[in-house]
Amino acid sequence: MRSMVKCVFTLVLLAVATALLGGCPSKGPEPGAAPETSAAAGTAQPSGPKVAMIPKIEGIDYFNACKRGAEEAAKELGLQLVYSGPTENKVERQIEIIDGFIAQGVDVIAVSPNDPVAIAPVLRKARKAGIHVITWDADAQKDAREFFVDQCTPESVGYALVDEMAAQVGPKAKVALVTGSLTAANQNEWIKWMKKRMADKYPEMKIVATKPSEEDQQLAFQVTQDLLKAYPDLKGVFAITSVAFPGAADAVEQAGKAGKVAVVGLATPKGMKPWVDSGTVKTVILWNPVDLGYLTMYVAKALQDGSLTAGATELEAGRLGKVVGKADEVILGDPARFNKENIAQFDF
Amino acid sequence: MSGLRALASNREAVLFALLIGALAVAALASPSFLQVNNLLEIGRLIAEAGLIAVGMTAVIITAGIDLSVGATLALCAVILGKSWHDAGMSIWTASAVGVVAGGLAGGFNGLLVTRLGLPPLIVTLATMALYRGLALGLSHAEPVHGYPDSFLLLGQGYWQLGPVALPVQFPLVALVIIVSGLYLSRSVWGRWLYALGRNEAAARIAGVPVDALKMAAYVGTGLLTGLAAVIYVARVSTAKADAGTMMELDVITACVLGGVSIAGGEGSIWGTALGLMLLAVVRRGMDLRQVGNAEQAIVVGTVLVLAVAAHSAWSRATQAARLGKAGARAGSAE
Repeated sequence: MRSMVKCVFTLVLLAVATALLGGCPSKGPEPGAAPETSAAAGTAQPSGPKVAMIPKIEGIDYFNACKRGAEEAAKELGLQLVYSGPTENKVERQIEIIDGFIAQGVDVIAVSPNDPVAIAPVLRKARKAGIHVITWDADAQKDAREFFVDQCTPESVGYALVDEMAAQVGPKAKVALVTGSLTAANQNEWIKWMKKRMADKYPEMKIVATKPSEEDQQLAFQVTQDLLKAYPDLKGVFAITSVAFPGAADAVEQAGKAGKVAVVGLATPKGMKPWVDSGTVKTVILWNPVDLGYLTMYVAKALQDGSLTAGATELEAGRLGKVVGKADEVILGDPARFNKENIAQFDF
Repeated sequence: MSGLRALASNREAVLFALLIGALAVAALASPSFLQVNNLLEIGRLIAEAGLIAVGMTAVIITAGIDLSVGATLALCAVILGKSWHDAGMSIWTASAVGVVAGGLAGGFNGLLVTRLGLPPLIVTLATMALYRGLALGLSHAEPVHGYPDSFLLLGQGYWQLGPVALPVQFPLVALVIIVSGLYLSRSVWGRWLYALGRNEAAARIAGVPVDALKMAAYVGTGLLTGLAAVIYVARVSTAKADAGTMMELDVITACVLGGVSIAGGEGSIWGTALGLMLLAVVRRGMDLRQVGNAEQAIVVGTVLVLAVAAHSAWSRATQAARLGKAGARAGSAE
């Protein structure tokens, strides 16, 4: 018996050792690990400035697309890209990951924070340690980072969503809103502009409920189902994350309300293709996440080599050409619309 | 008896050896790992889980469980934030209010478990939803931030001892672990806790104040969770209703890895502390090696299963030895 115990403990030790020394997914104890979620990006070059890229959450279409764009730019610029994020929508884990990058000593940290305030202390710590810090996709407290790579202004996103809804269901509809997390800064910012657009242009459009889906598609499905039951006269659902949108569209479709209840939202076109094809969703609104990841690396490089400083009005960003800078932000552009005609062209 | 104690401490010795092994491997794998300040920084990240794990250990020893700790942390954080921001209390009074709120939340769990005799799993599953809901409702899902710097130091500051930067919360957590570890292993109440966990009916008949002990375990967990909430808010400089999501699972993982038996009556604070450190070291080591998060989850799961298998084999061996000895002495066991 005693020897068996020893044997098991040895196994534990071996597992730990393999995990730490191996670092390669093929040595993991189980074969199920998807290689694309592996942090060590295969395309990274062995030398050059080291850039750590931290998404809100790993392994979803949207951030995978960002990662692809970042890999493309890293190759062009000779950057070592390391991509690692939480597997759940948790800022605590993001803090832990960034703390690890500080200990390791990277040149640039580029993060899409789950919480603008909670992430700030660890980012300040990184800056104190001489690491350049940028945010992308979502911002942090301004003093905690040097630049924010903004996909589009929140104003243009909010307006596009509301205009699209009005075009589909008319200016007087009752609508509901499924968001990601009630504390996510960028989502709340969009909602603010959505409400402003409604007040200015469609005063009779009304948001009857706002529900969080916590980056969980099943939860988005469920809350949308509940919304459809609770508000039988609902005409439209806004679903403003790439996880909430398919969940909401699925709920509407399964309730047999396709065509009666419009679903308008933000998501990757590839993820939404089934519902666009079936007609439940007419238009998907989004910026191009591949370009966002790509631009983020150009900003990282420019910051690291000193060619980008606060107040810059433009930045030369590879195949994107010149992009607009505004004080301490770099802006990718206006949101794009994906529909039945063009959706097949996009592979993200 | 001395043989038993040797075995028990032996188990912690094995965990300790594992921890040293993991440290050594992590140091080999990544040169930046062994810097003292990196190691201490890990202490900052596990301080909150460490405080809660102390309480959780006591609760699990009574054969209970507390799934509501993550939600309690959020509730205490929100109450702290609201007391300071909206009710105009000083930040220190508000912190005290947050800790007391934790005690009350734990007390409510304890009442439901002892007075209504409901299973702790069900009770705390329910209060997990309840406390999270209260936190969301109280805060309207809005974070509270903008705390004074003197308060943030509690979560982000250092005691600078020469070249060594000790995170501020480190001594506090160490003190809590040492005091409660000694209390659990040396005091009468501490020993009663084990008796209760092993055989509640027998303990009751023997005059052990079973209900009071359980109550103390849940209230203690609540108070420690409240304290953890204060440190959490100071560390991340914001109080919000989704704080500590799934934290209960991290804490329970550490306890189980440390040898606390879910069936009750077995385990120690030392084991839990070692389990927590082992998990943190493995995680940080893998982060520094850039092991992907999916692989990390697989490793942690595998380590946990192996550790539990080892403990179960261990306790069967211990049991067999004990029965054998008792049998030899008296001719019959039990």
